[in-house]
Amino acid sequence: MDTSASDTLIRTNLDFLLRHAPFDRMETEALRFLGERLATAFYPAEAEILIPEDGPPRFFYIVYRGKVQARQVGSVSVTEYSTLTLGPGEGFPIGAISAGRPSTNGYIAVEDSYCFQLPAADFLKLQELSPTFQLFCTRYIASLLNQSREQLQVQFSQRAAEQQTMTTSLSNLVKKAPIFVGPELATRSALERMVEAGVGCLAVAGEDEKPVGVLTQSDILKRIVLPGFDLTRPIAEVMTTPPHTLNASASAYDAALEMATHGVRHILVVDTDDKLKGVISERDLFALQRIGLRQIRSGIESAADVQALQRASRDIRQLALNLLAQGIGAEQLTQFISALNDALTRRIIELNLNRHDLYGVEYAWLAFGSEGRHEQTLSTDQDNGILYVLPEWADKEPLKLRLLEFAKDVNNDLAACGFPLCEGNIMASNPELCLTFDEWREKFGTWIREPHPEALLNATIFFDYRVLYGDEKLAHKLRHWLLSMTGGNPAFLKAMATNALDVSPPLGKIRDFVTDDDARHPGTIDLKKFGARLFVDAARVLSLRTGVDATSTVQRLRQGGSRIGMPAEELAAMADGFHFIQLLRLRHQHLDTDHGSSGDNRVKPDDLNELDRRILKEAFRQARKIQLRLKLDYQI
Amino acid sequence: MNWLSRLLPGSNPALDPEQRAALDAIIALAPPDLARSHYETRYVVINAETGPMDGGGQRLLAVGAVAINQGLLHPADAYRTQLGGTPVDALIGLVRFIARSPVVVFNAPFNQGTLERALEQNLGSTPDLDWIDLMVLMPSLFPERTTGQARMDAWLGAFGIDRLDHRDALLEALCVAQLLQVALARANAQGLASPRDLLDTQSSRKWLRGS
Repeated sequence: MDTSASDTLIRTNLDFLLRHAPFDRMETEALRFLGERLATAFYPAEAEILIPEDGPPRFFYIVYRGKVQARQVGSVSVTEYSTLTLGPGEGFPIGAISAGRPSTNGYIAVEDSYCFQLPAADFLKLQELSPTFQLFCTRYIASLLNQSREQLQVQFSQRAAEQQTMTTSLSNLVKKAPIFVGPELATRSALERMVEAGVGCLAVAGEDEKPVGVLTQSDILKRIVLPGFDLTRPIAEVMTTPPHTLNASASAYDAALEMATHGVRHILVVDTDDKLKGVISERDLFALQRIGLRQIRSGIESAADVQALQRASRDIRQLALNLLAQGIGAEQLTQFISALNDALTRRIIELNLNRHDLYGVEYAWLAFGSEGRHEQTLSTDQDNGILYVLPEWADKEPLKLRLLEFAKDVNNDLAACGFPLCEGNIMASNPELCLTFDEWREKFGTWIREPHPEALLNATIFFDYRVLYGDEKLAHKLRHWLLSMTGGNPAFLKAMATNALDVSPPLGKIRDFVTDDDARHPGTIDLKKFGARLFVDAARVLSLRTGVDATSTVQRLRQGGSRIGMPAEELAAMADGFHFIQLLRLRHQHLDTDHGSSGDNRVKPDDLNELDRRILKEAFRQARKIQLRLKLDYQI
Repeated sequence: MNWLSRLLPGSNPALDPEQRAALDAIIALAPPDLARSHYETRYVVINAETGPMDGGGQRLLAVGAVAINQGLLHPADAYRTQLGGTPVDALIGLVRFIARSPVVVFNAPFNQGTLERALEQNLGSTPDLDWIDLMVLMPSLFPERTTGQARMDAWLGAFGIDRLDHRDALLEALCVAQLLQVALARANAQGLASPRDLLDTQSSRKWLRGS
């Protein structure tokens, strides 16, 4: 190779790149790396540059001259655009090449175009070399995550159709074309028509389709059977007239009001020309009765017994589905669930305090694990404990016994309200987990000093504690002590980091995902073990290292990450990745419980739509990124 | 070297043994299979830079060469040389870079003429090369664009190719190489899929024009 000639050509490549973002901000060394490796290809107008059938793309392309159009391929729309035109300086396909899967778009030259191409391996290398380029790609991927969230909302709006509110217009509620007969029809024929159509309410309308009357099942007995009405006579003589009608634009609430006011069970819905559009029954409106956050909350707070709380627990589940249906994000949703579960637990504790006298005892009811992180999904069992202070005047044994008996009742009531007893006995009724301040400190201290595998496992559960009831100050004091212990202990942090790196994101080299080879669950990925946990564990290390009080994974990432100088955009992308996995878990649990099977965390990538698969892969890449950071920081 | 020997046909300029061996090795290379498709072929685009010679005529000063290999232009696959004081090494370097690939120029009478003369004079025996002239080929590939031969500027303008510096032999070769990429895509669409097809088209074109 003639270096002077090559240099000149590389220089022309660089001159071009420097006129376009993100290359204009790219580090000199990385830019040189790119400039040396770009080959130029020519594509005449209408030529296909890249199509999904090509499989995982072998090159990353940058338009040098001309125009390239990205076109959606297939029937399922996976991005918000159907076509997108790329001009000089714009690159593609970032998502597909980052994920190593076939492009979902076809890329076609719309005019004679030159494109630079960079081998896929060099594209990945470039991301390692250039933080700027990596950030650019991360942002791009984050925009995909946003698109995915919107997509999910669209999907859920279908479910939401069954979960409409009382403000829904009647036109949305009318499902069937109306069954109606003319007023001159013989009553016998009209009744036959009712039976045939299986309706409880028959509308009567003229040839102009404007309703003139109505006959309901309850009218039949009173007006036809008992009086011995002649069935050959026209229906007009026995129908109720005028019928109660509402315009199709009226709300479900209006219909309910109309029914309540006039004591009727059916309303005829008409369009703006007063033509009959359908019939709404009282039952249609019952289906709309929604459970709101406030009702559940006040229901919980005023609950007099466990039975009332059991109903509240079911309502929480229903609310979660409704919120999911409205397209609420995973972060807010888990916060709602968490807030309501907290309220439920507090009420259970209060009810039990009526039976257990703990007056004057300083204690705190702690939640561990996902509950401690505000990240409960709907199939989490209970993880809890008690932190208490032993007064100088008191004997330890009797006090502890009282606390344990109280805890046992609370644990059982929680189980009755849908939080299964913990199989590992991580419950306040376990004498090992009902401890004084000094005992907890001793326990935590031992794990930190001797981080053997079991101690590390315990740390991942118990260090995420949070106070649900009782003395918060006590728990804060413990937290501060804990952070002061871990922050200055690199050996422990390294052990925690190693533990966090135990499981890798299930990204395949050949296939998109590595699925479980467990014969009982073929083709599935456990999104808790191989997804959420990767973020949770890494974020925990970050928080223990940087002294972040917060227990939620996203807060730990945001606060802890920024304390060690990770860019906010990168952290936001990681948070998005975590939320996406949580959302998939929640959705999966909901859909499954809807179909009657138990909610677990096993998702079959093959069952996901293309976009979800794609985003899931990006989310796993975010997990890999945070793991990589741990690896580098702790040289593992 | 005696000035007279340059005028004698078949005379062998003085090459040292090393230069001789290098040249022989290149000549011994197997000729490329001209029936393969463009996208399996390495083309070498050459641009000659000349200056006035004492006593009239043009003298080769520098050569820029850019390869289009399998349809792609890669910065690593390029060559530039100034003839200066060591024209023999410079030209051996060039033929080594060409490595018997089909050679593409714009305006063969000038480029091919100048180069062949320089090779003949400085190296004596040279490998047989296949020359393709885009000035001849382009009008036949793009009949809708022009009625006859056009200047390079016109073709570059038609395809939006930037002429970065017409005094630089390498950057000129770069322009011609980009033009060749356009030409190969069109040729392919017209069923002219190989260098052989291009050479045949060029011959018939020349014959039609009576040159």
